Amino acid sequence: MSLAARHLETHGIPTVIMGCAKDIVEHCGVPRFVFSDFPLGNSAGKPFDVESQRTTLGLVLSLLEHAFAPRTTVQSPLRWSDDAPWKGTYLTLRELSPGELARRKEEFAEHKATAKTKRDAS
Amino acid sequence: MSTTTGVAAPESTTFAADVDVPIPYMQRTRDYYAALGYAPYRWAHFADAPFASLRTPLAKARVGLVSTAAPFQPDAGDQGPGAAYNAAAKFYQVYSMPTDVVPDVRISHVGYDRVNTKAEDLNGYFPLLRLREAVASGRVGELASRFHGLPTNRSHRVTTQTDCPELLRRCQEDELDAVVLVPS
Repeated sequence: MSLAARHLETHGIPTVIMGCAKDIVEHCGVPRFVFSDFPLGNSAGKPFDVESQRTTLGLVLSLLEHAFAPRTTVQSPLRWSDDAPWKGTYLTLRELSPGELARRKEEFAEHKATAKTKRDAS
Repeated sequence: MSTTTGVAAPESTTFAADVDVPIPYMQRTRDYYAALGYAPYRWAHFADAPFASLRTPLAKARVGLVSTAAPFQPDAGDQGPGAAYNAAAKFYQVYSMPTDVVPDVRISHVGYDRVNTKAEDLNGYFPLLRLREAVASGRVGELASRFHGLPTNRSHRVTTQTDCPELLRRCQEDELDAVVLVPS
């Protein structure tokens, strides 16, 4: 998605990304980015929380109007929860036994094969 | 003069926990897939970034929406809230759908955080209704009559040489003044 933002912007269309993976988007380098420090999958705000979604889109629209240079990131002030333990669970290797790692390796290979089949057919 | 680089917080100050920072997804992903025996993925990275100023006041602007969510595919297995990662639900070509109806688009085909969230509410990853509100309130001029879906292809070559030009073509066809892109 960051590559798409760059491509559109290069051709004169102002863009803004709303997302939850700060390091990945900033590593690519995009014109404008509203970062929500939420679990991946909630780029547009908290589920079933209309105010959270409105606030997030409000930041997006303001950023479109006011950014004056590329690589401008605005971090949403909204919090997913009062504490941070949820940040320690995504793709962590802690507590994974060798057997579980082997299972996940096999599963990942299956995912890749499924995706390849679908991609080749499309 | 102090020789320490850290400074003790005054007792009246409550700092956030040191771990309460944005998740280092690239490092986590590198470590995880290395443990599974895979070569490291290389993320797109540039030293510079383009910039185009908004040329139309937002209240008169036509805004487009781009999403990585996938149209529901009845024959592609579980795509519901909390579904396991579903590679069969992926898509590989840019698509467009009208914005005057709420589409059934899902994110079971991407690696969202299934421990802490379940993708139960479309509006958490697809801000169509909130954009419509912004139009209704006059904050935004208009919403494009269609949104665009961008494949989550791991090939930078396909993304840059095929998908990005196709997306640009459609956005230019829509005569958009600005685009909101929402990765899921």
